[in-house]
Formats: sequence, C-alpha cells, structure tokens
Amino acid sequence: MSSSFTQRTLDVNGIETVVLEAGSGEPLVFLHGAGTITGFDSLLPLAERFRLIVPHHPGFGLSADDPTVGRIEDYARHYLDVFDLMGIRELSLVGHSMGGYLAATLAIDGTERVRRLVLAAPLGLRVPEHPTQDIFTIPGDQFLEHLSADLSIFEGKVPDPPTPEFLAHSFRETTSAARILWERPYDTRLPRWLHRLTMPTLLLWGDADRIIPVEQIDVWADHVRGAERRVLPGVGHLLFDESAAAVTAVGDFVGEELTV
Amino acid sequence: MPSVFDDIQFYLFNHHHYIDVPENADDYESVWVDLPNALFDPERGHALYQRFARELRLGEALGFDAIALNEHHNTHYSLMPATSVRAAYMVAQTERVKLMVAGVPINLSWPSRVAEEYAMLDVMSGGRMEFGFPLGTGMEYWSNAGQLNPATSRARFREGLEVVRQAWTAPGPSRYDGEFFNYRYLNTFPQPFQKPHPKMYIVGSGSEETVQLAVEFETGYSVVFVPIRQQLQAFAEFRRLTEEAGRETRPEDIVITNIVYVADTDADAVREAKPHIEQFFSWFHRVPPKFLLPPGYVSTEEYLRRVSSTALAEGTKATWDDMVAIGRIACGSPDTVADLLSHWAEEAGTSRLLVTLSIGDMPEWKAVKNMTLFAEEVIPRIRARGSAAGAPGTVAAVSP
Repeated sequence: MSSSFTQRTLDVNGIETVVLEAGSGEPLVFLHGAGTITGFDSLLPLAERFRLIVPHHPGFGLSADDPTVGRIEDYARHYLDVFDLMGIRELSLVGHSMGGYLAATLAIDGTERVRRLVLAAPLGLRVPEHPTQDIFTIPGDQFLEHLSADLSIFEGKVPDPPTPEFLAHSFRETTSAARILWERPYDTRLPRWLHRLTMPTLLLWGDADRIIPVEQIDVWADHVRGAERRVLPGVGHLLFDESAAAVTAVGDFVGEELTV
Repeated sequence: MPSVFDDIQFYLFNHHHYIDVPENADDYESVWVDLPNALFDPERGHALYQRFARELRLGEALGFDAIALNEHHNTHYSLMPATSVRAAYMVAQTERVKLMVAGVPINLSWPSRVAEEYAMLDVMSGGRMEFGFPLGTGMEYWSNAGQLNPATSRARFREGLEVVRQAWTAPGPSRYDGEFFNYRYLNTFPQPFQKPHPKMYIVGSGSEETVQLAVEFETGYSVVFVPIRQQLQAFAEFRRLTEEAGRETRPEDIVITNIVYVADTDADAVREAKPHIEQFFSWFHRVPPKFLLPPGYVSTEEYLRRVSSTALAEGTKATWDDMVAIGRIACGSPDTVADLLSHWAEEAGTSRLLVTLSIGDMPEWKAVKNMTLFAEEVIPRIRARGSAAGAPGTVAAVSP
C-alpha cells in the first residue's frame, strides 16, 4: 500500500513534464482537468491495486508551459509520447473534465493501447439542451461553488482572500486551458468518432455537477455503445475530491477483470 | 541637435465617452464588457456624436495639427466601436488637420480589410491620415464571440501587422502565407495616398512585447492608459532598442498622451477640472481585473506583477493627488501646463503631444473653454521654445 506519490520529471520533446506515481501493478493513468489546485491525494486508494500514474499536463501544476499547444490533439499526442517514454504499452485511462475530453480523444486514436476507459464528467461534447458552463465567465466569487458541491474540499488549498501567487497560479492554468478551450470547449467532430471507443468504458458523473450537467451522460452513452454508467447523488464536478465512492467506482471498474 | 520644439505638433484626442452615468452606478462592477446596453439612449448618443464632432472641428479651427480617434467595444468609455466609420465622417468634416486613427485592433477584423479601410481614408482625405495599431485591451477580447483567443493575441497581431504592411507596400497581387492568415491574392485597392504608406504607430501600454514590435516593424510608438512616468520608461526602452537595431529614434516616432486642463490660474484649473477627471477614473476606468487580463493576454509573470501592485489593482480608486503625483494630468495655468508638457516632451524626446481636453462628464462649454485656452495660451508658449521661426510653419507643412 502506498500512502504518497513519488514524483519524477520527464523531458517530453523539450517540455519538462512532471509525473506522480504510486503503487504497482497494472498501469492506471489519470488525466486531470483544467486545474490542479486540489491536488491528487484523493486518488491514492487506487494505488493499493494499480500502478497509479498522474501526470501534470504541460501548462498545469508542476509541468512546464508549452505555448505551442493549440488543440486537444496536441495533448493526446503528448501523452502517446509520455507512454512511450515510460515504456508503457497498455494501460487503463481515467480522464476527468478536460482530461476526459483528452482521454476520449486519445483513446479514439489509440484503441489498442487503452484497456479500459473511465470518462468522469468529461468535457468535449456540444449539448445545446444542457450546455457546459463557460468556465471563463464564472464570477470569481462563485467559482468554487460551481466546481464542487462540498466547499470543505478547498480548505487549506485555496487561500481566502486569494493571494497574488494563488491568482497567478490560476491565471496560468486558465491560460493553458484557454489555448485549447477559448474558441469552444468542445469538438463538434468528436461524436463522429466516439464509436471507436470499443474498450470497456465507464461514464461516471455527479448529479450535482454545475460545470458539466449530468444530463450530458446520455449523449455520451448514445455514442459510446455499451458504456456503463454510474451517477453519484449529491456530488459535484470535482467528484474525486468530493466522493470516496467515485474513487472506489474507478477501482472496481478498472479492476473488474483482475479480481475475477 | 535640433530641438523637439522645432516641429512640435499637437494632437487633439477625443474619447467619445457616453458621458451619462446611471443613477445606480454603484450596482455595476464594470463599465466595460458586460455593462447592460439598455443604458444606452440613441437620442442621447446622437447628440453626443454631434457634440464631439463640433469639438473636433473647433480643434481644426483653433490650429491643432491633428485630431485623434480610437476604438473600444462594449463600453460607455467610447462611442467608437468602429473607428473607421467615425474617421470617415471626420475626414468629411475637416479640411486641413491630420487624422490619427488609433485604431482598429487588427485582431478584431481582417488585416486585409483594415488595410483597405485605412487606404480609403488616406485617399479620401488626400493623405491626412496617421494610424496607430493597438493590440486591443483585454476587454476587447471578451467582447468578440470567443473567436479571438487572448492566448494567441500577440502572435496574431504580429501577422496582422505584416499583412497590412505588405498590402500597402508590396506590388499586388502578392501572397501571404502565415499561421493565422493565408492570402492567395493580397491586392489591396485603393492603395494609400501617402508613400510608402501613412505614418504608423504601435499603440501599447508599455509592455516589453509591444516596444519590441514597434522597433521590429520600424513604426512609431505610443503608450496609452499609463502614467507619464511609465510612458517615459517605455520610450527610453524604445529608443535603446531602436539604437541597437542601428537606427535613430526621431522626435515624431514617439507620441506622449496626457490629460490636460488649463485655466487662468492653477487653483481655477484644479477646481474646474477635478470633478470630471475624477469621474473619468472612477466610472470610465471601472474594470475588474478579470476583464483587464483575460487568460493568456499577458504572461503569468506579468500577471503576478500586476496583481501584486496595489496601485494597479486599485487603479480606479486613485485619488486626485495620486493622479497628479504620478503625472498623468497636466492641470493649471498656461505657464504651468506649458512648462509641464515641455518638460515631458523634452524628457521623452518627442515632438508629438497628444492631449485629451474633453474628458469624463465635462460639459461642452468647459471643454470648449479648455481647448480654446490651450490653443491660444499653451500652444504658443510651447512653440516659442523652438528655434526662432520654426513654429508657425508646421501646420501648413503637413497639408498636401
């Protein structure tokens, strides 16, 4: 059992990419959303069963900036390089929010590498009836309540009032998100290719999500045939910070074959 | 060495504020981007367009060398979201003065279209145009349908400038193949009246990036929105980099911008101007940091610098004394104002003084009084500092 991450830095085409790792066994890669403020300790229970790998995207957290990133595919190909560098051929992939958009994009082209896929409150679809909240225009004083149904998860992580350094950290990560999401936070071409997600796939959502409405799960399910769904009551957008059940759901789904 | 006063020129700038402040002004966090447009009354707007045209025409009659216009969007700060439209009107309303349009943020349009509109203005005016090219404030990037990524704004701006320059100087048709723009037949017609092209300025807020751009494109440079001290620092940097590039900065390559109010005595001037200038900063400059700095508009380091600076973070709360102390305002008797402006012009090494004489909720009579006193009492005092007969001829020299 692992109680903390080890950290290493990879040189990925000249971009210093920080990778957190814990545990051993089957590789389970977690692709985070458009912010790293709450950290990833809530995922550590997964390290009891898997080799948990949490990279920081370029432009986020501890990884270096890559101003040449302009599309979600740039991140998807970045991770194909990361997996090659780490010598990982097959893996299970969990993507949250923007990381879900990224994971779906990556898995469409890398079907043979992704053994199992979890899309947790994924960004990436245009659903006019239940639109994704535009993250760039949420008033600052309402941001946290949009992110999570449980404000206690921010204690000790978000200074009140925000310090200049904290604001600059947010500005940097929002800038990185803007590089791929400013024009539109989805890809209208994505539904056309989601049928390629033939690996076992779990759609996981909190029904109190105020960023990406839970109703979008139906649209994903229409396109990803045979996907399992799991909706967590009372849970908001930062479901892994808010809910131990969300973490357990990932472990159970990804480990299904292993525990047989 | 020739004095900056030998060819000193006065640019009369007018913001075209929508000057009425709503009764519930305190309910609005911002006068930019999301101020409800229901606050706009078209009849009032029409009256203000007429008024500001009268002021600019008076500027010509009073002997100003140029009138200057700019562009902003989604804001009562400016009634000119399409500055070329206003400029075309003012071309027809004037005969002699130069018109500086400073201007369309190229990113908000197509560079070929900017080149066309500006060339039209130059030909229609018989070569009276000068153009300032701004990146556009952060606020403009919120106002444009999400198609314009602030994170790539500077790279896109650079390409837009290249296209405009090529459209005006390369024999057409020519090709332009860039990251953002791909022109198969760049063949701007009409071509500008002035050769090789009208005077160009980059308009910045003093950032390293825009100074470098101005040096690289060999344009003039002007700084807006910032106190005179920061303007002077940016000019020093511009001068240094221009020298490094093997060229000399000419006095007409730099434009300094000032808010000016002149009255018979220093005390009269402060008393008459203060409420309007304070209102300018408290209302028209009301903009929260999130609109000022959209994601990627500046580097993270620059962002940290700005949010760490109390003066910048509290910009709209600056007091009169703060403003005078940092030298944004020249307010006083003709002697006081002439001395201050002359001092700043010499320090900046510029012969181009852009002055805002009608500001905030200042009534027309006061703006006219200010303009008249400035033209009759301040301009001659500053011109007199040039070598003997240099001054009066400058106006005629710019007419075609």
